[in-house]
Amino acid sequence: MNATSTTITMPRQNPPGDLAIWIFILAELLVFAVLFMVYAFARRNNVELFNLHQLQLNRTAGLVNTITLITSSYFVVRAVAAIRENRTQLCSRWLWAAFSLGALFLLIKGFEYQHHFSMGVTLRTNSFYLFYISLTFFHFMHVIMGMVILAAVALKAQRGGYSANEHTGVETGASYWHMVDLVWLILFPLVYVMH
Amino acid sequence: MTAIPKLRPCTTIWLLMLVLSLMTYAVAYLGLSGDGLMIGVLAIALIKGQLVVDHFMGLRRVGGFWRPLLSTYLLLLGAALAGAFFLSQG
Repeated sequence: MNATSTTITMPRQNPPGDLAIWIFILAELLVFAVLFMVYAFARRNNVELFNLHQLQLNRTAGLVNTITLITSSYFVVRAVAAIRENRTQLCSRWLWAAFSLGALFLLIKGFEYQHHFSMGVTLRTNSFYLFYISLTFFHFMHVIMGMVILAAVALKAQRGGYSANEHTGVETGASYWHMVDLVWLILFPLVYVMH
Repeated sequence: MTAIPKLRPCTTIWLLMLVLSLMTYAVAYLGLSGDGLMIGVLAIALIKGQLVVDHFMGLRRVGGFWRPLLSTYLLLLGAALAGAFFLSQG
């Protein structure tokens, strides 16, 4: 019998990357869940105000940012696949591509903020904008953090610091970036669409 | 005859998520509203979240409690948000 035909792929017991990042990811997801619920329940007391000001948001920018983050997450998946095939330079290029889309996300979000601030909107304008600015800016900071991690991993990959046998760092950075994407996938419909 | 290149599973998932995102945007763009539709929008978000968990984070191939934990997170969060939106209609 051929040796490969008897190979059984057992599921791994730990998620990809360093276990510590997963503890961090779970904590972050919990914080965002609480913030989302506070938003949804605060909206209950001000439904008309929330619906009215939600219409002032640029949904097209929200969609473009959604596509940007989903695509950057996909690029990170490709980076992980590349390093598992020992293709370090390709891994690095996918990571830099994901990093660039992260920068595009920040740019678009920056334009959105600039538009609102130029209209005199602040955290004190009303409870909708308090939540909109706080939630999206909290996420914005996570995108920056994720980009720092992606850049560090991409640089190390570029220098040949990872291989098919040892690439925990790539998987760790990838897991964090996917968490940033996951949070936005809920934030976008919640704040921009649902009314 | 030219063979059609086979898409990687992650590429198919990525394309699916783009289509689902466009569906969410269409609801907003067309100004559609209603309880059922909002639940649909929320459900799409949760499906996309589960796709990220399974195929991008790779938890589909991980044993133990990790995948059920994140799936439960998405379900509970979705239920809480749906509940809040329903209560606000009353």
